[in-house]
Amino acid sequence: MAVDLSVNKGKLKLKNPILTASGTFGYNFEYARFVDVASLGGIVTKAISLEPRPGNDWQRICETYGGMINSIGLENVGVKKFIEEKLPFLIKGNVNFIVNLAGASIDEYVKLAQICEENKINAVELNVSCPNVKSGCLEFGTDEKVLKSLVSQVRAVFSGCLIVKLTPNVTSVEKIALAAQEAGADAVSAINTVKGLSIKVRYINGKFQKETVQGGLSGKAVKPIALGVVNRISKILDIPVIGIGGIYSLEDVFEFFAVGAEAVQIGTANFTHPDISERLVNELKGFMETNGFQSLDELKEKLRGE
Amino acid sequence: MVVPKQKKLHKAKITEISQVSKTLYYIKFKPESLFESKPGQFVSILCPNHTLRRPFSIASLENNEIGVLFKKKGSGTEYMAGLKIGDTIDFLGALGNGFKFDKDKKSLLIGAGVGVAPVYYLKKEIEKAGGDNRLIVGFMTKDEVPSCMSFDEIATNDGSLGLKGSILDYVEQEIISYKPDVIYSCGPHIVLKTITEIAQRHSISSFVALEKVMACSIGVCRGCVIKLKKNGTTVNASVCQDGPVFRGDEVLWQ
Repeated sequence: MAVDLSVNKGKLKLKNPILTASGTFGYNFEYARFVDVASLGGIVTKAISLEPRPGNDWQRICETYGGMINSIGLENVGVKKFIEEKLPFLIKGNVNFIVNLAGASIDEYVKLAQICEENKINAVELNVSCPNVKSGCLEFGTDEKVLKSLVSQVRAVFSGCLIVKLTPNVTSVEKIALAAQEAGADAVSAINTVKGLSIKVRYINGKFQKETVQGGLSGKAVKPIALGVVNRISKILDIPVIGIGGIYSLEDVFEFFAVGAEAVQIGTANFTHPDISERLVNELKGFMETNGFQSLDELKEKLRGE
Repeated sequence: MVVPKQKKLHKAKITEISQVSKTLYYIKFKPESLFESKPGQFVSILCPNHTLRRPFSIASLENNEIGVLFKKKGSGTEYMAGLKIGDTIDFLGALGNGFKFDKDKKSLLIGAGVGVAPVYYLKKEIEKAGGDNRLIVGFMTKDEVPSCMSFDEIATNDGSLGLKGSILDYVEQEIISYKPDVIYSCGPHIVLKTITEIAQRHSISSFVALEKVMACSIGVCRGCVIKLKKNGTTVNASVCQDGPVFRGDEVLWQ
């Protein structure tokens, strides 16, 4: 029996609901030795900025209980190099991809979106919520007026699927999500990392040694936060929600579907299990075949109804 | 960009595990499929209930059996120290670039602490190729010296075995007496920085294998990035993918 895993919600069109999250999957070819990238619902590229960014200088990552903290600082090759060197590989590999965009000003986001439009890129995800850069990003995702202005200006120049990635580091994620919808976003993805800090203290030879990493928390530890956010915003939005946060198993995927997500992104789990994304596609397909679900919508309906 | 087709995700059975010094363990495991590696490359071992895999230099590869030397430092390596013969582990490898050597050049190999692992493997490979080499190592005390390995010279900080003092105290005289063409080293950051400075003073090329906390271990996450000086500019390089072996004089030491 052929099962239909596709997601078809307005401009959000995916062959299956399993995507990989920005910053955890590079530009696709890095993972090609572990998974058939073309078999995934899609990949979200590492964030692209107008100019190349060197990223942060200090210790960038550390493991925490149930997760990790990163402070990469959006290191990336810049949009020019992305278009010249990375894009051809994505197209050639028949990969469904979403380009994650990070600007330092509204103007930069608009320029990036224009470049994507000119290069016939089908989908972009606006990173308005990176906690690790001093100027920009997070502030766009924490003020609904600024966000609305940003999204509507990007909307004016980009005709493809426009996704806004939301930060949980706000008082009311509902207000931000509604602002994105009103400004013309086709979908929202949630959540980006949770602001946090790790400090390891050791007492050696009469001295305290401290190792601090301040940045975004991800991994299993953030799943309840992500589920909470997805649950709250999917209830009030008409546009689809893509769930992100600590997904390591098919049960996790179902949990996000149950609270209203139409698709999911796998992030930190890629680091631990580089083949997990394709495995989840296969497990989902297997589950549907075994249990007689013909379409993903049918599965979601049953999951949400019971 | 060419995608390497070689299998990188492996399952392997533990074939040997022993505590080889007061602080170090030696573990051997055999992957199901054919495994190839170069000295300086590393494996990234999955530790259950941990988000990040743990990277380890390969210390030996014989008959498809990989050897890893490690120090029990935290909960990840505690899991590894508790493994038994016959247990299955999940690992990625071989990762990174590894050392390049020329058998016609005299190679001075220097290891400090657990950093002896990749240079010990390098010694074996240079010997197989019939190249001239000398491996000198440093430990804090004789209790730390791994019983399963042999070295050409040992220094201990407390003088309990071999030469007394830091291995760094002996690099200069080794250069004068052995006259190496190239130096390969692995150990703590400060040791590698100092060896590079000494090598530069003597106009000898030096290569270092660096260590850094990693998340993806395949060049994606940019978590283990260091700075290199190349053609007068500063560029980023990931220890996992662009390294872990770098030209010592190109590293922007901090």
